[in-house]
Amino acid sequence: MVRNNPFNWIFLILSSLVLLFILAPLAGMFLDTSSVELIETVKDREVQESVWLTLWVSFAATFLFAIGAIPLAWLLARKQFPFKNVVQGIIDLPVVLPHTAAGIAILGFISRDGALGKAADTLGLTLINNPSGIALAMAFVSIPFLINSARDGFTAVPERLEKAALTLGASRSRVFFTISMPLAWRSIVTGFIMMFARGMSEFGAVVIVAYHPMIAPVLIYERFSSFGLKSARPASVVFIIVALAVFILLRLISLRKKETYLSPDAQA
Amino acid sequence: MLRLDNISKRLGEFSLADISINITAGEYYVLLGRSGSGKTQLLELIAGLNDPDSGEIWIDNENVTHKRIQERDVGLVFQDYAIFPNMTVFGNIAYSLHCRKYDNVVINREVKRVSEELNIAHLLNRYTFNLSGGELQRVALSRTLITSPKLLLLDEPMASVDASLKDDIKRTFRQLNKKGLTIVHVTHDFREAVSLASRVGVIHNGRIIQEGTPEEVFRRPVNKFVARYAGIRNFFRVRFSNDNGTWKARCDGNLVFRLPDDRYPPDGLLIVRSDAVKLHNSEPDPGNDNRYKGVVKEITPSEHGMEVMVDAGEVFYVDVSSDEFKMLKIREMSDVWITFTPESGIALQGNA
Repeated sequence: MVRNNPFNWIFLILSSLVLLFILAPLAGMFLDTSSVELIETVKDREVQESVWLTLWVSFAATFLFAIGAIPLAWLLARKQFPFKNVVQGIIDLPVVLPHTAAGIAILGFISRDGALGKAADTLGLTLINNPSGIALAMAFVSIPFLINSARDGFTAVPERLEKAALTLGASRSRVFFTISMPLAWRSIVTGFIMMFARGMSEFGAVVIVAYHPMIAPVLIYERFSSFGLKSARPASVVFIIVALAVFILLRLISLRKKETYLSPDAQA
Repeated sequence: MLRLDNISKRLGEFSLADISINITAGEYYVLLGRSGSGKTQLLELIAGLNDPDSGEIWIDNENVTHKRIQERDVGLVFQDYAIFPNMTVFGNIAYSLHCRKYDNVVINREVKRVSEELNIAHLLNRYTFNLSGGELQRVALSRTLITSPKLLLLDEPMASVDASLKDDIKRTFRQLNKKGLTIVHVTHDFREAVSLASRVGVIHNGRIIQEGTPEEVFRRPVNKFVARYAGIRNFFRVRFSNDNGTWKARCDGNLVFRLPDDRYPPDGLLIVRSDAVKLHNSEPDPGNDNRYKGVVKEITPSEHGMEVMVDAGEVFYVDVSSDEFKMLKIREMSDVWITFTPESGIALQGNA
């Protein structure tokens, strides 16, 4: 595969170092955790609850925000409007903000003095220290992944296919649901997975909005600060295994979807 | 049937300017133009994919300028067919009927009927990504025809089809037109226009520069652009004069052509079709024809046989059939004579 020339060897060594940098700490953590510790942690009700909470809240946040994010991605891909670049900048903003700062901003918004907090309060809901508040914090930091990926997907759908559908008598919404969405599906699902994964791993913004109920990253932090590295490690391993399993499962589903009906023409 | 009244549309740097076309029911109208001439944009305006900045579009005595695409009753077949890759052939053809919420029994019956008419019934369950260009086009055509449009718009329908299938497709278009379907066909290839059109419109830089039957347009092009388009390569910049009742055209290189009696501007272009020029290997009888001696400069194979380039003071291109070429026994640097009748010279105004 790699021919015997120095250029290839240098690139191979540098690439291996980067991969090693990612894998070594994870491998170390797995190796330092005994199977007994691992089984005990899996049985730990607090750990189970926090992992489950993390998964479903992140999924729910991704699902709910997708309802608005996908149309926004289509608009960005298809329409020209004033200040489009500004809108694109706003969408990318959460990526560059310190996540604790994002948490503070969300907290201000959902506390009883904030606009959303007041609205929720009139309905008898509290957003702080509540899964709905966690969902908002997760969505805030992760939504750019879905919007940008879906936008790229819609951009790659040839516009003439949408035009053809219109000339065949389809309404705009029918064109969107039968042509644009199915053809951009792979990018939308990829964005969905990325947003879900990013939301699931969020700590900074969530810990400010809701220390309790504890999502897995907060639980790991809590165990570390209260009992030290040895106690936090097994919980980390369990969470990583679950996150990886979900991630791989979703990837497999999205890949199979692609195989079934996308032609080379559609990806061009 | 279709009337465009002074249609203008600005699209970035480019604009369609003041286009008026009147197409009667049952006509086969070919819009001929190079890529970038605005022909596809014009089709999209007719179909309703874009709105004109000014002007009106009338279909069957109804002003449809601002009518929704879905209500125009116009079928458009796109250049690369725009087949939906996420659907089977059946799904593609049935798409418009699903949009109109037809019953499944009706949909099945109609898809079967149209696909049999266009010989693609055996492909109905296939996905479209491994179909040939010709098959894709039939799918696109079926998908459009199933709605029974009043007007069929074809955007470069031969562009992605193998040469061997072109005759088949032309036959299909002719049959559709014979059954009464009005067709507007956009192309860059004048041969398609010659073989299909009942009327041709030549579009250049967003304007219709000539309109007429194929004979009118290709025998009497209004300017050099149309002439080049019609495959004419003999252009001469001339001054026209009347010497004792005989009209003549004098080239810059001093060659003089005799012309039939007519009215001519002081100067302009004279064009002569390559197939109107005759080539001789010995001096022909003096007659009424224009007659010049020259030298063969180049011989290149062409669609009809050979194209011979002759320098006779001005450069002429002459089309010669293969048989004729064999009989002439000429090669490069041979001395030859060329003749053409005064009537075969076509005079164009000024800097046209």
